[in-house]
Amino acid sequence: MRTDAEIPFYFGPAGDLFGMYHAPAPPARRALLMCPPLGQDLIRCHRLYRQLAQALAAQGLAVLRFDYYGTGDSAGGSAEVDWERCVADAGVASNELRARAGIDRVVAFGARLGGSVALAAAERARFAEVIAWDPVLDGGDYVSALDDLQVALRDDTERFTRPRSDADIAEQWLGFDIGDHLRRQLSALHLHAANVPTLVLDSLPAAPASRWERIVSPRGAVASITPPTPWNDLRRLESAILSQPLIQAVSGRLKETA
Amino acid sequence: MREEAHRFGRGCHLVGIAGVPAAATGETGVIVVNAGLVHRIGPFRLHVELTRQLNASGYPTLRFDLSTLGDSAATGGGQTRTQQVCADLDDAMSLLKARAGCERFVLVGLCSGAQNAHIVAATDPRVSGAVFLDGYAYRTIGYKLRHYLPRIVDPGRWARLLLRRGGANGGGKPVSEPVFAVAPAPREEVIADFTGMVARGMKLYLVYSGGISNYFNHARQFRECFGKVMSHPAVTTRYSAESDHTYILTGDRARLLDGIGGWLTQNFPPAAAGRHP
Repeated sequence: MRTDAEIPFYFGPAGDLFGMYHAPAPPARRALLMCPPLGQDLIRCHRLYRQLAQALAAQGLAVLRFDYYGTGDSAGGSAEVDWERCVADAGVASNELRARAGIDRVVAFGARLGGSVALAAAERARFAEVIAWDPVLDGGDYVSALDDLQVALRDDTERFTRPRSDADIAEQWLGFDIGDHLRRQLSALHLHAANVPTLVLDSLPAAPASRWERIVSPRGAVASITPPTPWNDLRRLESAILSQPLIQAVSGRLKETA
Repeated sequence: MREEAHRFGRGCHLVGIAGVPAAATGETGVIVVNAGLVHRIGPFRLHVELTRQLNASGYPTLRFDLSTLGDSAATGGGQTRTQQVCADLDDAMSLLKARAGCERFVLVGLCSGAQNAHIVAATDPRVSGAVFLDGYAYRTIGYKLRHYLPRIVDPGRWARLLLRRGGANGGGKPVSEPVFAVAPAPREEVIADFTGMVARGMKLYLVYSGGISNYFNHARQFRECFGKVMSHPAVTTRYSAESDHTYILTGDRARLLDGIGGWLTQNFPPAAAGRHP
């Protein structure tokens, strides 16, 4: 691995977004923007995102990983995360990638809410394609699941010596401050098909594949990945999510469309 | 103040974020190392919040990924992990010296990060302070009394304990058991390290949480584990029974950060930093 080919930097109009650019050895012919998920999923996926970026850079793609405002190494506090800002940041990042790689055609990839951001930003950011791994389509369900996990966390005697109070866990989701604004935004999230080819990589526990229909048709496909990914498992909250099948699926797709 | 992203190190293999407040030249720098396998932002962004809060108080900071962790690569130099950690921290101190003029450093580490910070703090004269979060600890007699006595008065628990132990001899000389997830250092060695650190003027802040209650369960256990060096004026200890190991609740995290900030301000006042013994 060439360390000089992975460049950490800050970018954006205010220089407040963190990015890691993976430059391919030969001149790039295509580019991939990696939209991260939010909250603890971002931390759990960091290693996998890096592995995927390195695999794709070796395949000849220019890749940009980045953090939205209020997440990761980007400026802003966790309570300042804003859905519209995340979508806008994906657009800023895509233009940064175009400028660095000298390529106009950008494919976007994202896991969970990162996939949702990529879909929501697809037209504005002019993505040529979106590859979404278990994207969140209905924010209401997602909010309910996180609320339930937060309540379970309060009583988790594996983590705490004694149960915590409601006040201790209020206005947070699994380690992160959650503003009322983001909660409302996510509760109202209801994604529709983006006007670009869309590949959904499905590794959610058994459930009807038809759930993806409204975002993949008519210009898209669904591919299953096994084993299921334990996104919402409190016992694995601090375990990295690693998936060789995911890396193979994404790199295979990008080879197909090369 | 704006943060800076750096690729640095002898092999240009390390990645870190430096926070350099205006007019911070010459002050003591704070370096935060990885907690376990979590990349440099720390568990639940703990390291981001910590470094930014310290920047606001005037301290230059660096949060970075050690070799092979986060976004940092391996050097391929055939070094032991200890040699690698020492070399990485040497690179980190050089970077913060170049960016902010720091001559002396405070290291902060949680769990395996505390171990790594300990290794360097014990040997590098540029390290003038260290914050060890859930660092080395050993089950002591006191630990076992506090753990088992309440269970003795509970007949149900007592029955289950006897059943589990199968009548094994518990009357021998109690032995402190190292229970760190990675190979721990012998207790005598750790005590000697702490003693050496304070002898050369270092300030230490040990904060242990309820998240390690399987081997640490009371504020008195600092002294039980490490002896009289824990009573040295240069050593501050804090036991936070209600917190978990990685400070998942924002209130617990805020109290931890305030504690570290207060300890730093008291022991390394920003205006006087860089001139410590």
